[in-house]
Amino acid sequence: MKNKDVSARTGRSLLSRIFTLRNMAVTFLVVYFAIFLAYPIYKAFAGSLHNWNPLNETYDWVGFENYKDILTDKLFWTSMGNTAVFLGWSTVFRVVIGLGLALLLSSRLVYAKDTLRGLFYMPTITPLVAVSFVWLWMFDPQFGMIDKVTGLNINWLHDSKWAMPAVIIMTIWKDFGYATVLYLAGLMNLPRDVYEAAEIDGANSVQIFFRITLPLLKSTTLFIVITSMISYLQAYVQFLVMTEGGPGTSTYTISYLIFDQAFNKNNFGVASAQAVVLFIFTAILTLIMFKISGDTEGLA
Amino acid sequence: MQFKKIATATIATAGILAMLGACGSGSQGVTDTKKDKGLDVIGTNVKYDPNHLVNEGKPITIDYWTWSDKGVDPVYQLSEDYHKIYPNVTIKIKKQTWDDYWTKLPLQLKGKNGPAVFNIHNSYDSLIRPYAADYDIDQAQLEADYPSSAAHEDANGKVKYIDSVINTGNIYYNKTMWKEAGLTDADIPTTWDQFIDVAKKLTKFDGDKMTQAGFNFNGAYSAIYQGLNYQKGTLLFKDDGKQANYDNDTTKENMQFLKDMYEKDKIGSVNFGNDYSESFGQGQTAMVYAWGWLEGTMKDKYPNVDYGVFATPTFSTDTPFAYDRYNGESTPGVNKNQSKEQQAVAQDFVKYLLANDDYIRQAVKGLNSFPAKANLQNDADILKSPVMKAIQPRVSRLIWPGATPATVESSGKVAFEDATQNGKSIDEAVAEGQKAMDKDMKGSDFVSAESKYEFFSEHK
Repeated sequence: MKNKDVSARTGRSLLSRIFTLRNMAVTFLVVYFAIFLAYPIYKAFAGSLHNWNPLNETYDWVGFENYKDILTDKLFWTSMGNTAVFLGWSTVFRVVIGLGLALLLSSRLVYAKDTLRGLFYMPTITPLVAVSFVWLWMFDPQFGMIDKVTGLNINWLHDSKWAMPAVIIMTIWKDFGYATVLYLAGLMNLPRDVYEAAEIDGANSVQIFFRITLPLLKSTTLFIVITSMISYLQAYVQFLVMTEGGPGTSTYTISYLIFDQAFNKNNFGVASAQAVVLFIFTAILTLIMFKISGDTEGLA
Repeated sequence: MQFKKIATATIATAGILAMLGACGSGSQGVTDTKKDKGLDVIGTNVKYDPNHLVNEGKPITIDYWTWSDKGVDPVYQLSEDYHKIYPNVTIKIKKQTWDDYWTKLPLQLKGKNGPAVFNIHNSYDSLIRPYAADYDIDQAQLEADYPSSAAHEDANGKVKYIDSVINTGNIYYNKTMWKEAGLTDADIPTTWDQFIDVAKKLTKFDGDKMTQAGFNFNGAYSAIYQGLNYQKGTLLFKDDGKQANYDNDTTKENMQFLKDMYEKDKIGSVNFGNDYSESFGQGQTAMVYAWGWLEGTMKDKYPNVDYGVFATPTFSTDTPFAYDRYNGESTPGVNKNQSKEQQAVAQDFVKYLLANDDYIRQAVKGLNSFPAKANLQNDADILKSPVMKAIQPRVSRLIWPGATPATVESSGKVAFEDATQNGKSIDEAVAEGQKAMDKDMKGSDFVSAESKYEFFSEHK
């Protein structure tokens, strides 16, 4: 009877040792990442080595044929170039406008700061599809607001010179609020004593901005640049709604190309190979950014 | 106290089980014992005798999947009519959005629980063909009723679906603008030269700025070039039926012809009215080339526009190889992975639809399309519609290229935009278009149905 009690107690303690909250949480996270992260990445890589259409069960081994195809495809490189242009301009303007407005909102020059903060952040939380449709109508040359207000006569989304700038303008409008809020948070956390010391030393406002504020905001800037780059490398919704990659292929980006291959042409093998290349490219770009900034801990 | 707890738990469990039973049961319902329904046999060649029992009169529920609404898809109404004849059969309709439909349906059809009957769009032929059963209907009878069904026959002479109604392009014109320009019915053009002259009269400028387009095909190039190529006797696919026939002199001539309409004749512009149907609805454009669906759009979005329809012009008054391409709305498919009982009911229901003129009449109305059923092609009621009247004289000279891969349209669109908006020469744009089509069709099991066209031997 005594032995039975001991074993029961031991059994209970073994179970309670296994089913702790920590173990359960860790197991949940591992399973979650295995199913929703590791498996899709593995599946995309495996799929990139096959002629793959899951809708009619085609899955034939082709080795590196898909990679050979995409790396010799002119459209792939056009799309990479377009992505670089889109990513570069959108990121630069997001950072510059975001920082500018954050400085303005943290200064004594502006009233109704809370209202403005809310207003600036509103486009960020509005669904991208809805915003894209609104801007699609605004850019219309016959009844759109942009040409009417500016007096211009530009067919923004159907002229290959203007289609990409038009999408970039819309993206910047939608996204600058995110940078503004992050910079505001960064500015609020800057140490006051450094500014007081600079003022005592006779530094003017330009010197304070470039010598103190900007360097102290380095980790915030790095965070915004890297998250912007990652999200702009994956941008396709605005292109799908506003230009469908056109005119011709002048606004094809790499993510739109992947979408087009997979869901319009059901060519999941080639789309997966393009996705793997994009994945590698994103990783390299992020590493380069860390190296350039020399501040890998800033993001940790 | 203990008894009260047990009693409560028992009642709750029984209640839940009863509810679950009601949800999951497929065998509950009415039993039909009346074989003789007292109804006439329907149909002209494909005949359907309703005086029989379906599923031996035992209750059965089958699923029908569609992406369309009631009022558009005729199966909604016909399934209710079928249920009235066979009260033991319930057809449960499940509607999905277009995108969801084509993702979920093939996956569902792979298993054993997919819908017994499902709506088909022929552009997704390769996705559903592996799971669709052959129609259990005599092919000769089917062809006698539906002449276009021959184009859907596989190598074994069987079909998995056919066209219920067909559609093609027409010219829609704004009657108010027509009158303002001093034009009458006698000015309705039959050749492209006449058409351009009329369009010039309908085009308006404010200085250099176009304020009204005579003709607008922005966004419709891919549809229009295929028809123009057919008018000149050039096929969309090469002799093997597997490779696109895009880079040829006819495509280049027609691209130049369309480009000239905008740049030389100035009857429209790539910068005026980015979406031809919207521009027509907004009253900015006098004439557009569009398929039957435009009627539905006009009715829903622009009910105040007074418009008419006439047949797409041709290059001369001679009968062309084909007036245009046509495409059909498909009859439902039967799931070959479903149980024998479900498939038998599904086959019976499909036969009921195909023999029944009401099915086609409702499809004509809901889909603004021309009947594929021979006995209805001269029907006075149907020909009251201007679109049907415009299609009817051309119907035997319309060609179906098969369920063409998307690249034929999308790469054609890119080529035209490259030539008109991106500064490429027509030769270069067309060559790149051909290259893109070849690349996208590599490994595709598509085979053109052009060779099944009655006048195929007349092609270039």
